[in-house]
Amino acid sequence: MAQLELFIQTIISGFLLGGLYALIGLGMALIMGVMRIINLAHGDIMMIAMYIAYGLFIFLGIDPYISVFIAAPTLFLFGVGVQKYLLTPVMKVESILPHNLVIMTVGIAMVLSNLATVFFTGNYRSIPVNYASSAWYLTDIWKNSPIELSLSMPWTLSFVIAVIITIGLWIFLSKTDTGKSIRATAQDLDAALLMGVNVDRLRNLTFGLGCALVACAGCLFIPIYYLYPSLGKQFTNIGFVITVIGGMGSTNGAVIGGLILGIFESVTATYIGMGWAPVGRFAIFIAALVFLPGGVASILRRKRLGK
Amino acid sequence: MIRLRIIMLSCFISFFTINAFAQDTLKLGIPLPLTGTNAKFGEIEKKSYEIAQDEINSKGGIKGKKIVLEFEDSQGKPEISRSIVERLIDKKQPVIFGEYSSSSSKAIAAVAEERKTPYLVVTGATDDITQQNYKYVFRMNPSNAYYATGFMSFLKAVVKPKSIAILYESSDFGTSGAEDMVNQAQKDGIKVLVKEQYEKGAVDFKPILSKVKAAKPDVIYMVSYVMDAALLMRQIKELRIDTNLYAGGAAGFAIPEFIENAKEASALVVTATLWSPQVKYSGAKEFAEKYKKLYKDYPSYHGAEAYSALYIIKDVLERAKSWKPDDIRSAFKSTNLMTAFGPVKFVDKEGYTNQNFMDSIVMQVIDGKHETIWPAKYASAKYVYPIPKWKDRK
Repeated sequence: MAQLELFIQTIISGFLLGGLYALIGLGMALIMGVMRIINLAHGDIMMIAMYIAYGLFIFLGIDPYISVFIAAPTLFLFGVGVQKYLLTPVMKVESILPHNLVIMTVGIAMVLSNLATVFFTGNYRSIPVNYASSAWYLTDIWKNSPIELSLSMPWTLSFVIAVIITIGLWIFLSKTDTGKSIRATAQDLDAALLMGVNVDRLRNLTFGLGCALVACAGCLFIPIYYLYPSLGKQFTNIGFVITVIGGMGSTNGAVIGGLILGIFESVTATYIGMGWAPVGRFAIFIAALVFLPGGVASILRRKRLGK
Repeated sequence: MIRLRIIMLSCFISFFTINAFAQDTLKLGIPLPLTGTNAKFGEIEKKSYEIAQDEINSKGGIKGKKIVLEFEDSQGKPEISRSIVERLIDKKQPVIFGEYSSSSSKAIAAVAEERKTPYLVVTGATDDITQQNYKYVFRMNPSNAYYATGFMSFLKAVVKPKSIAILYESSDFGTSGAEDMVNQAQKDGIKVLVKEQYEKGAVDFKPILSKVKAAKPDVIYMVSYVMDAALLMRQIKELRIDTNLYAGGAAGFAIPEFIENAKEASALVVTATLWSPQVKYSGAKEFAEKYKKLYKDYPSYHGAEAYSALYIIKDVLERAKSWKPDDIRSAFKSTNLMTAFGPVKFVDKEGYTNQNFMDSIVMQVIDGKHETIWPAKYASAKYVYPIPKWKDRK
């Protein structure tokens, strides 16, 4: 029984973690699809959103879940600005290095994390919300349950909001004209250009949207985690791994990739050892590159064509 | 021209008066890391030495001489500490004390022994500094292997556990802390059921915590920095892992930020530490409050060590027959002093020479505050044990 309880609890935490990971991966995959670059400033943009939510809570007492509605639009504008004034000009410069855009994002990441260190010092901070360690328990609902399972309130709340945002994005991408143009650009840039899609405008929009998504992820992480200026790298790595598992640039793939990574990490932690989680993360990353270069997206596509 | 002469004259006069004044002062050079990575600790110690200096001087100094401390920056590098101390000995300073890190303290100890000048180690904790039969080296702080003695005696006397689970971060600090605990546990016949490491900065500890829950240990012992410590306790509360005791190995669990971040999940968590601002040693609280008033923050145990070190030096120099190295050495040997850091006595045992053995203390979070609970005679509050199950807590 204890083993069953352990297994179910592991899967639950993996699933919740995966949902949040997916939101980080989504933004990165979206940018990857349209721009064809890995945005290595992704985690640092998330860090900025977390500091915004932190500031709002400390000075105005705004709950981090409500800060989503403030941090996301702010970072959207930030992302549009970065694309318009920093990335687009770089794109137009001829250079020996094919990926100076990626180098640009690394530069942005460094500037952001150093600025945060200057303004907020290197100290660890967290928002002491009252519900931080509240949870629902199986035995509270079902008195004679043979096993005890728990469901953390902030984790579940964050997960549910992440799912809502993901569904919202999916509707936007598949039902609206702008969304369709984004997908079209991701699939075939030249064709989209020929069809009259304003690619420059779309790039601004996409980068902004990617930033807004990771800003949401930042706000959702605050009640369950903490923040410090150099936390970005860790989440950039996670986003990168998810994007690769999901199949470079596929948003559906990113969602599944996030869930896979979350569950994989939890299971590794329980049955092999938590010290192995980072190793496992990169093992799955390499395995995906070698055995499934197209990622989860290639499987999805094959299924659809098979029908 | 006249003005120049006056200036020169006044220079001469002041030179002589300073010289005359100097006979009533005792200059003591202290090597400390004031720049570099350890600078933060050097700073805390410097401030604490200065507080002690003012107190001693306002009460007449040492044998009527006012103390003048001169801090010398070692940058945390052993070779620089070494040359500073060479210079101090050349200047005939009767006794050497100070430095922060183990490696610098070790370098100084070697010089002091070679030049036959007594040296008081204040914070260097590596075991072997006082295990080399040095005759002139004395250490006031417990060595690394003894950091957890207070906690172990609390376990043996109160909790009497049969099994333990150890969680630690995968760094030098975490691994050595966990290894020490495993050794101590084996010595006392406590079974180690789970020993798991984690990567610092992890988000979700629930998988390994579920594993701990399934193993049902009597005690959970964690070696972590503050944010991981807070997350661990929060998730332990979430999963309702009931054990007889939740314990932390100093560091992250022993500072106020732990309580701020873990909130009610931090209640009744026990942690080992060397010193705390509210421990019932005479002078400890006064020192802590004075430090807080001046620098807006409570000092860490390093501060208490530095503050007390100067009092030990005062005590030794006052009792020594003369200020020749051998007389100072025998005065050190017969030290029996109660300081703000705790009782100080230099003894030879268990392979150590001139080592001060003291019980490290144990704190527990009671009503949202760290209280010293062990050893019982220095406690600021009675320990709460057994602790209630999570289900029964509000």
